[in-house]
Amino acid sequence: MKNVRFWLTLLICAVLWTTVTSCFNSAPNYINTNKTRNIHLIVKMNRGDYWNTVKLGAEAAAQEFNVKLTFKAPDSESDITEQVKMVQESIKEKADVIILAASSYMGLAQVVDQAAYSKIPVISVDAEVGSARVRTYIGSNGYEAGQKSAERLIKLLKGYGEVGIINFTSSTQSEKQESSNGIEYGARDAEEREKGFLNYTARYPNIQVVEISYTTSSIKEAEELTQLMLLKHPKLRGIASLNETASQGAAMAIQSRGLKNIKMVAFDSSPSMMELLQDGAVQATVIQNPFNNGYLAVKHAVEVIEGINVPERVDTGTKIIDLDNMLWPENQKLLFPFVR
Amino acid sequence: MRQEKSYSFRLRPQHPKGGKRRLSSKLRSIQVTITLTFTSVAVLVAVVVSLMLYNKFAKTAEENANMNMQQIIEQVNYNLELYVKGMRNIFETAEDQITNSPSVDSSLLMERMAMLMGSREDLVSAAVFTPQGKYVVGTAGQKLRSNTQLETQSWFTSAKKTSEISYSAPHIQNLFKGQYIWVVSISKLIQYKENGELKTGILLMDFNFRTIDELSKQVKLGKRGYAYILDQLGNIVYHPQQQLIYAGLKYENVEPVLEYAYRSYLDESTGEKRFITVRTLEQTGWKIVGVAYYDEIVTTKRDLNNFLSWFLAVVILCVIIVSVFLSARIARPIRKLERTLQQVGEGDLNTRIDVSGAYEVEQLSKRFNLMLQRIRQLMDQIIYEQETKRKGELEVLQSQINPHFLYNTLNSVIRLAERGKTEEVITMIQSLSKFFRISLSKGNNMITVQEELDHIRHYLVIQSFRFKNKFRYEIVAQDEVLQCQTIKLILQPIVENALYHGIEMMPDEGFISIRAELKDDLVIIRIIDNGLGMSNETMKVILTGGSKSMNGSGVGVRNVNERIELYYGREYGLSFESEIEEGTTVTLIFPALAKVEDNEGLKEDETSA
Repeated sequence: MKNVRFWLTLLICAVLWTTVTSCFNSAPNYINTNKTRNIHLIVKMNRGDYWNTVKLGAEAAAQEFNVKLTFKAPDSESDITEQVKMVQESIKEKADVIILAASSYMGLAQVVDQAAYSKIPVISVDAEVGSARVRTYIGSNGYEAGQKSAERLIKLLKGYGEVGIINFTSSTQSEKQESSNGIEYGARDAEEREKGFLNYTARYPNIQVVEISYTTSSIKEAEELTQLMLLKHPKLRGIASLNETASQGAAMAIQSRGLKNIKMVAFDSSPSMMELLQDGAVQATVIQNPFNNGYLAVKHAVEVIEGINVPERVDTGTKIIDLDNMLWPENQKLLFPFVR
Repeated sequence: MRQEKSYSFRLRPQHPKGGKRRLSSKLRSIQVTITLTFTSVAVLVAVVVSLMLYNKFAKTAEENANMNMQQIIEQVNYNLELYVKGMRNIFETAEDQITNSPSVDSSLLMERMAMLMGSREDLVSAAVFTPQGKYVVGTAGQKLRSNTQLETQSWFTSAKKTSEISYSAPHIQNLFKGQYIWVVSISKLIQYKENGELKTGILLMDFNFRTIDELSKQVKLGKRGYAYILDQLGNIVYHPQQQLIYAGLKYENVEPVLEYAYRSYLDESTGEKRFITVRTLEQTGWKIVGVAYYDEIVTTKRDLNNFLSWFLAVVILCVIIVSVFLSARIARPIRKLERTLQQVGEGDLNTRIDVSGAYEVEQLSKRFNLMLQRIRQLMDQIIYEQETKRKGELEVLQSQINPHFLYNTLNSVIRLAERGKTEEVITMIQSLSKFFRISLSKGNNMITVQEELDHIRHYLVIQSFRFKNKFRYEIVAQDEVLQCQTIKLILQPIVENALYHGIEMMPDEGFISIRAELKDDLVIIRIIDNGLGMSNETMKVILTGGSKSMNGSGVGVRNVNERIELYYGREYGLSFESEIEEGTTVTLIFPALAKVEDNEGLKEDETSA
């Protein structure tokens, strides 16, 4: 009897203690920001408004989640070896997470596997990489973006005419031919966009894609390629460009020649592209969500460290912007980063 | 004086050693009980007190935090009010200058406008448009873009609607080449002169967010808290994470904010508890919203948590240590007492307790020692009494097997036989035999009054032969008294006394009357003789001992008295009444006790005899 009372007292004490302590210390339900995380963000290129906006987004998240962000990018989108070197460096520096926008789908695959082997999670942003070890992909759907571009261009051309594409690549023209042995060395997003575009135009017999030019990563080269294309195809009615540098180059070629009858659908939303849109040199542009890409990549990176489940794929979406809708409040917010 | 004797007996069976019972008895021990009680009471009190303290402090902390936050927001509100007033002043100055200038494109006005623009960092652009949307004049160095769609923009439409100054929601300034900047526009219908002609136009001034940003940046509401600004329609004018809000990555629950101009409330729409404080600017209708994270701004609460947790832990530890020591101190003498008692229980009465400690325990041990001493005394007494009883009985028995008595009796028998008095011989032998059987009665001390009376009757029969009818006798007994218990052989010495001292010497015939009765639960037996009697001195001597009869068996009446006193107590015993030449009455008084059943009794004796 007394024995029972004794254990009962003990039990009551224990219960009391746990209730008291549990009401004193409840776990916070937000991401723990007490520890500084080392996250490396490696993108395709260290120039251009697009990558700046990605960086801006990443920095916003870094500030919010107490992340020490190391930003790395080669001078050119085609410098695969430099990017591989940067990933290797990050592995050596024992980054907590590596966020990678791969210049080449296959070219970066091996080094990503290496990172995974060293227990460093890899998140890919904007462009995918050919490794199964990638934790999540954050970016837009390239194929869909290509289709959107084609759809708008065909509408602008009223359904007929010759069309040229200015795309981008990670390898020079000669390399491209050499590496046609089945291995994809290009950037995934470039290929997807092109595929989407071509598949969509294939439904329109009156639309002929007469030439696809590939620029590495210079506006100058893109402008020259566009000039060349315009010379080669005098009947050309429309141009689609599939990334920011290609778009700026192509638009400059059109503007400098004062060609009013050539319709153009560009890609991405740099302020200069907006200016071109407002000036009427470009009719529409397919925009992605670079700020969100950067922000979400860092946020999910922190979640990966915290052990929180992250979605396998985050589609940040694409949108067609033209003169009419560029000043809609919701699009203003998308197009122009809020810089103080 | 202590007698060193060894006593051996057991008061109770010993505890079985080991096992569950031992553990449970340990848990029931006074030390554990004290420790547990003390600890649990102290812990309970500490917990209750700290909970009350916690609630009290937490509430105060919460109120303080809330008040603090309201003050901060009030301050921001005030600063912002000043800032908006400043914007308004600038705007009104510009309006004055344009209205008062003879011509909008005069170089003097342009100069003044440029000065105005240079005076403030946050002023991005200023321009005048016609109500149709045509550009009239602007600050120098700004080229207008094409396709501006300004007629549809809010600053344009709202300026046309009222004559008051209107403030726009934040938007992109797309009018002038160079940059796309987020601005807040102030616009109003104004009068201006162009070529001497008075015209109506719209004055636009764009302000960037630099100052608002700086104002808001100063707001520190805990580590993660912040302030943001809403316009009347619920558009976010300024937010520290504006880009995230615009990108749809963050969300601010503005609906409850819009309902009131001035309020504070607790919001849980994001899943986290947050304090929201709202203040409204008079001129613009903007609302300043302070957001503070509940668990963060109330840091005192967490500090308090930690402190109280530690406090409780320390208190409990102290209490346990103190109570263990205290209970050990209390329990030690008691345990010592218990051990000694156990020793006593095992039969060692010679131990002594010298326990010091609490007053009660000390007293207890003292009393215990006294008790032990008393027990020893009593045991000594019992032993002494038992020895005395045995001795007395033995003496009586020995007196009966007195050879002189036997010789006389047998002589009488022989004489009777010689005379051929067979009848008498048989009576004689029978009486003798019964006399001895009852005397022995199988070693029992107690016999019934009936048996005792039989015994004396046989004795008297034998003696009447011996004294040759020198005396007569009668034995009268109430029926109730017959079954009462009595010590055996208490009548014989008295009757013997009466015969030898009272009757033998008298010339006349003697008479002995033995009367037994029950009165008030007392057995009263009187032996009355009409003999010589005795003096008072003799009576005294008889009971105190010393006098031994010359002819008797040598066993005194004193022996009988002693035995009665030993068995029944001092208040019982013998008393004498005597008068010289008249006779003596001896009265035996002892309590009436029913016969104890267990005695195998005389029946068995009869068979064994």
